[in-house]
Amino acid sequence: MVLVTFLALAAPWSSPAQQQQGAGRATDVWMNVTGGGSKKLNIAVPEFTIVSGIDSTGMGKVLAQVTGADLTFSGLFSVVAGTGAIPANNPALLEQSWTEFAAAGAHAGLHGLLTMRGDRLEGEMRLYDLVTPEHRMIASKKFEAPIGQARRVAHKIADEVVLQFTGEPGIADTKIAYVTGPRGAKEITIADYDGAGPASATHNGSINLTPVWSPDARSLAYTSYKQGYPDLYRMFPFERRPDQTLAAFIGINTSPSFSPDGKSLALTLSKDGNPEIYVLTLATGTMRRLTRNAGIDTEPSWSPTGRQLAFVSDRNGAPNIFVMDAEGTSVRQLTSGGFHTQPRWSPKGDSLVYTVRQSVHDLWIVNVDGSNPRRLTNGAGNNQGATWAPNGRHLAFQSNRNGRWQIFAMLADGSAQEPITRGPGEATSPSWSPRLP
Amino acid sequence: MLTRCSHLAFSFLLVAAVALSGCAKRPATTQAAAPAPTGAATSTAAPTGGPQQLQSGGATGGTATPAPTTTARPAVQDFAAVADLTDVYFDFDKYDIRPNDAKTLDANATWLKSNPNHLVLIEGHCDERGTNEYNLALGERRAKSTMNYLVSQGVQANRITIISYGEERPQCTEHTESCWAKNRRAHFLVKPR
Repeated sequence: MVLVTFLALAAPWSSPAQQQQGAGRATDVWMNVTGGGSKKLNIAVPEFTIVSGIDSTGMGKVLAQVTGADLTFSGLFSVVAGTGAIPANNPALLEQSWTEFAAAGAHAGLHGLLTMRGDRLEGEMRLYDLVTPEHRMIASKKFEAPIGQARRVAHKIADEVVLQFTGEPGIADTKIAYVTGPRGAKEITIADYDGAGPASATHNGSINLTPVWSPDARSLAYTSYKQGYPDLYRMFPFERRPDQTLAAFIGINTSPSFSPDGKSLALTLSKDGNPEIYVLTLATGTMRRLTRNAGIDTEPSWSPTGRQLAFVSDRNGAPNIFVMDAEGTSVRQLTSGGFHTQPRWSPKGDSLVYTVRQSVHDLWIVNVDGSNPRRLTNGAGNNQGATWAPNGRHLAFQSNRNGRWQIFAMLADGSAQEPITRGPGEATSPSWSPRLP
Repeated sequence: MLTRCSHLAFSFLLVAAVALSGCAKRPATTQAAAPAPTGAATSTAAPTGGPQQLQSGGATGGTATPAPTTTARPAVQDFAAVADLTDVYFDFDKYDIRPNDAKTLDANATWLKSNPNHLVLIEGHCDERGTNEYNLALGERRAKSTMNYLVSQGVQANRITIISYGEERPQCTEHTESCWAKNRRAHFLVKPR
């Protein structure tokens, strides 16, 4: 695997800027120093080459920036960008560019080639090893999309690069759903994972809450007051298909969590007296009750194996995180002391992120056996409502550190906290989609 | 076109955040359940870059989940506040009725018993602290505790409907304890039978 070679060779920042001769060079090269880490792989991402078609919108430049931003976001790469595209079908200039990028410290080179045919866009990624002198191509793959979804091609190229170096695809070709608007008038918005292209997914003028993606990334469960009461619905935002009503019982119908196989939905209902956790079998509508307790039981979150659920209960006083098996038995208390809510099981299965309220709310993470609770956010407003990226390396969450609620992302160790939403309104309750089909 | 430069420049890569806007408007969809009491049609806008647009053919259909039916609930918007019924308040993260509020509820129960043709809707509310989903459960418990107290005072349970708004409908929007105390409440609305 290439990864081992490159990471072993990756050196701390090497040479300062050095003078180069401009004549005959295909691209001008500079390095991104924001990453700063010596363990990151330096990857050159020159502007994408237009193989055929008219690039009236500067797509070659924009998509290279999108892919570069994805790779930077991954936390695995430092991007060495350049101006000017490498001409198509010119191996000599390509080789010259790689030589210059390699001299600037790049370990790998990504060459993107765009072909426009009518309303279709084909993007090809070619990945080069710049550590070895021959600069050989180590991977290539083509992606196609309608030209209106050009950014998805850039995201797919980035995800393929991550796959080549880590063995697991990246998470750039994903969406984030979140709630927008002030209290009393909340709608659900869906945007690309990087915040681009936000679009309203509900328009009912009531209160819409807690969108949660299904494992196939085709639907979302959410609670809405559109019929007056807090009922649970399922929307299909990419299809011409009406909402399904999942639960409309007397009381609350909240806190949806799809089982990993997508066949069941854990949820909270108070129809039998007080908030309890149930599992709805989606194909049949069968409802199975998991908790029987006089206190509040809510916010179920499936383990990635589907064998266990984390949840919140105030049965011993303040709300804390508990774990039970999928039959509702073998209940154990994971955290103590409270006020602990919003457990979300890591896709890797080894830990849970949750929200701790002290004077403000902050995100913590704990191992599944309850050991090593550690704080991820600290001293910057309220931080809550975490959602995992499908690779378990990133979290999105809501923070009001800048004076209004925004969606932020960070690495799962709490580093690299950056806002995703930048508009003027309030954005809360994010749900990170699985990789798109 | 190639740009040329005489030296390597260290620079920041700007995170591309250009929102390529534009959302395809979809036709209005109908609700699977009963018509919305507000009469508002729900339309769904497809976000750009939806996964189905990379698929060939429309993947509509699939398994239809039977919509669970429930006992008929009175329409929320038919209820209105009445000056004779007074709100009660709760301590942080609590849903037990405080002694002073029990007196308020006694008076509310007396009014309800002397106006037997009114149905009552009890709203449970929370302050903004705590988190969204938990507060929906907490608001439910507050409304339920209030309902149970009224029933214990002789108000017929079948006259009472409860609804939790969690932290979604604060009465007071400042971030202060006095404001939060006003928001941790049970509120009463009535309508004729």
